[in-house]
Amino acid sequence: MAVFVGLSIGLLVFPIQAQTPREILITTLPGLQFDRVQWAAKPGEKLKIIFTNQDDMSHNLLLVKPGRRLAVVQQAEELAEKGPEANYIPNSPDILWSIPVISPGQSASIELTAPSEEGAYPYVCTYPGHGYIMYGVMHVSKKLQTPPLDDDPDVPDLRKEAMNDHAHHHEPKDHPFELVPPYYYRAFMEGSGLASVAVRLPQRLAYCWDAGACKLQYAWSGDFLDNKDFWHGHKNAYAQVLGEIFYRDQVQHPLRIGNPMLLPTVIFKGYRLVDRYPEFNYLVNGVEVFECIREKADGTGLERRFRIPYQLEPIWFHFSPNDGMSYECSSGQLESKGIIKLSPEEAAEFTIIMTRATL
Amino acid sequence: MTLKYLIASLLLFFCSHSIAQSDQGYLIEDIPMPEGLDPETGGIGFLPDGKLVACFTRGEVLTYDFKTGKWDVFAVGLHEPLGLLVESQHEIVVLQRPELTRIKDVDGDGRADVYETITDAFGLSGNYHEFNYGPVKDKDGNFYIALNTASSGAGFRDNPRGPVNLAGRDSTSGRKQMYSVVPYRGWVLKITPKGQVIPFASGLRSPNGIGIDEEGNIFINDNQSDWVETSKFFHIQEGHFYGHPASLVWEKDWDGRNPFRIPVEELNQRRTEASVFYPHGIMANSPAEPLYVKKDTQFPQFEGQWLIGEMNHERIIRVMLEKINGEYQGACVPFQDKGGLRRGNNRLAFSPDGSLFTGQIVHGWAGAKGIQRISSKGKTILLDIQTMKLTPNGFEFTFTKPMDAKTVTQIANYHVRHYRYPYQKKPFNEPIDFSNQEDIQEVTIQKIRLSDDKKTVTVELPQLRKGYVYEFKLEGIRSQDGSLLKNNLICYTVNQLKTN
Repeated sequence: MAVFVGLSIGLLVFPIQAQTPREILITTLPGLQFDRVQWAAKPGEKLKIIFTNQDDMSHNLLLVKPGRRLAVVQQAEELAEKGPEANYIPNSPDILWSIPVISPGQSASIELTAPSEEGAYPYVCTYPGHGYIMYGVMHVSKKLQTPPLDDDPDVPDLRKEAMNDHAHHHEPKDHPFELVPPYYYRAFMEGSGLASVAVRLPQRLAYCWDAGACKLQYAWSGDFLDNKDFWHGHKNAYAQVLGEIFYRDQVQHPLRIGNPMLLPTVIFKGYRLVDRYPEFNYLVNGVEVFECIREKADGTGLERRFRIPYQLEPIWFHFSPNDGMSYECSSGQLESKGIIKLSPEEAAEFTIIMTRATL
Repeated sequence: MTLKYLIASLLLFFCSHSIAQSDQGYLIEDIPMPEGLDPETGGIGFLPDGKLVACFTRGEVLTYDFKTGKWDVFAVGLHEPLGLLVESQHEIVVLQRPELTRIKDVDGDGRADVYETITDAFGLSGNYHEFNYGPVKDKDGNFYIALNTASSGAGFRDNPRGPVNLAGRDSTSGRKQMYSVVPYRGWVLKITPKGQVIPFASGLRSPNGIGIDEEGNIFINDNQSDWVETSKFFHIQEGHFYGHPASLVWEKDWDGRNPFRIPVEELNQRRTEASVFYPHGIMANSPAEPLYVKKDTQFPQFEGQWLIGEMNHERIIRVMLEKINGEYQGACVPFQDKGGLRRGNNRLAFSPDGSLFTGQIVHGWAGAKGIQRISSKGKTILLDIQTMKLTPNGFEFTFTKPMDAKTVTQIANYHVRHYRYPYQKKPFNEPIDFSNQEDIQEVTIQKIRLSDDKKTVTVELPQLRKGYVYEFKLEGIRSQDGSLLKNNLICYTVNQLKTN
């Protein structure tokens, strides 16, 4: 019995193994990319490429002769008004196999026998505009070898960077100038409104100011931001805080005017730069406020200078006694726990010093 | 203010500087970009002293001095600036993601020190696709900006700005359609000099590119899909609705219905049709900023027409309009293809010397980066279709040069098709960029006549049909001086017919 089964496997399965193509699954990534950009096949190997479109745009897939990727992209462009009906596939001897345009969620496959000649056989989407960034390569190699990604001309540059992120820890130059604190980015920041400003201060300090709520939301120390995903702009990304957040605002708004318990209405007006530090300008219950936040000279916290020059009523500054900071105010008096009261004259200009309690 | 990090002479990447002579004869030059800049161009303009000013998606606003070849920093730290308008030598207005901002250099050192919020009175859901476009300014000092809808490819964040209304989303079929869940997504807003924000027009999807002509007419390029499956050039008028329903929920006194469930006929009745269709995958895939060709440019033959950046092709398009029965309609034709021109043509501006500048962008799509200048070579006028106009029974083409009678009157040299792009709700399983040309038919020319001055050809067709694009490919057509017509694909959108 055992022998019989063994024989039948030998008889039946072996030929199937020889003929069953190896499946190569290729799908899409956001931003006009194939998920697989480099893989290997043996000369003459039977393959089945299954292409699934998970993007929200249309894509095709053309496997072409070595070195002919760009030529095929250009031939596809020359289809001009005939492009849509031809699935953007030109009639070209450079194309070895092709999958016509498929919609999101659709799959299509082709079965093929890898060329007998070793070489780099690129594949590319020739939907208009896509061909210059959306491509990859099948390396036909007896030893199933592929060259290093960085040296492969048929791998999009974007993917080389993406895959090498972990290898390089040098700080890339983000701008055509050196960034010397203080400087800032308006950006999407986690834990703050969608209109926010991330400010880098000297002493490796930083804070996030919410231009919607018109208040300091949090502060951190250490490295500043990772903007890579945010700048890429194709997903709901944030500029990522890299350091340690040591302070988060826990009061609804620190300033009260006219009534210490009245939650104010605020309007953001903008900012000006004072010694390159932003001084924010906003209205609290219609009263003009200026706020400039600097590092404490010894790096242990923040100095918040307020100017409320044109008002006639007392103001109250609220803070949470349990937010990990100790508070000093240049004038005014502690009215009750977490509430400092300032006269209109005192409020014309005052400084709140916040020092990290745990340092 | 101190200038600790103002780089007086940013290092230039001179090796990228190249000049290409395009086939068409325009000169295409790369503007050298400073090292370290990711030149994803959100806006370009010119200062009164002739310097180029440009903003980039990482938040910089830089100026370029053509005399010294140096870039200087004007402003930094902006949130995805995608448009700018020069107000004076020391003042520009920039549209960022969260607000329209006036940026001033008060102390005159060349570097901005005051940033004033002109308005932030519009919603943000946090969806990555809620890009903002503009501003343009009319003679009365009003600004106009256009707000993109949110992408069906992503959700919105948990702290949106502005009231949320989920009726602006196609809840019948998930997130397949672009949506508007916070105020004025899909709208054009007018902002008065006093800062009042007036919702001006609705029904837009991806209005990347707003332009204004010298009479104050506003035009917008709206990217294809969802309801009309090709990109469109709209004449924007107050109170008009342009077809994408999501934005309707922000109409004053809206009745609360989900606009995606309103019968298509009802929406269709309310909607204003595009002045020009850009056949998708043929003329354009992602048209961007329209620029009105004013007087005294290096392209006087196209004065009063429009130039349109195209993102996915190495192309700039030209649009010519005429008013038929009081409505603008017209044709689109390539202005420049390839010849050293890159893709990603997002923003256009004329420099003081009348040359054309194009600012390029990728931003996750199929584009390119940098800034290029396109100039005409001396006073030579190249062979082009100067105008294409509707006649009661066909079209009239006027060329920029006297034509060779033999090639221009040969019917076989004209390949004519017509097709239409119906208004309909896109089927659930269709991709964003799927484009369906309906009723594609070859059209046979009945008669061609050449004018006495040899510059105008009148083409007679069988009964013209309203709502159709007439696509002409002119092959092998030459001028008397032997030039071959290169920009030979032209598409006219017939909304109105002309009567005798």
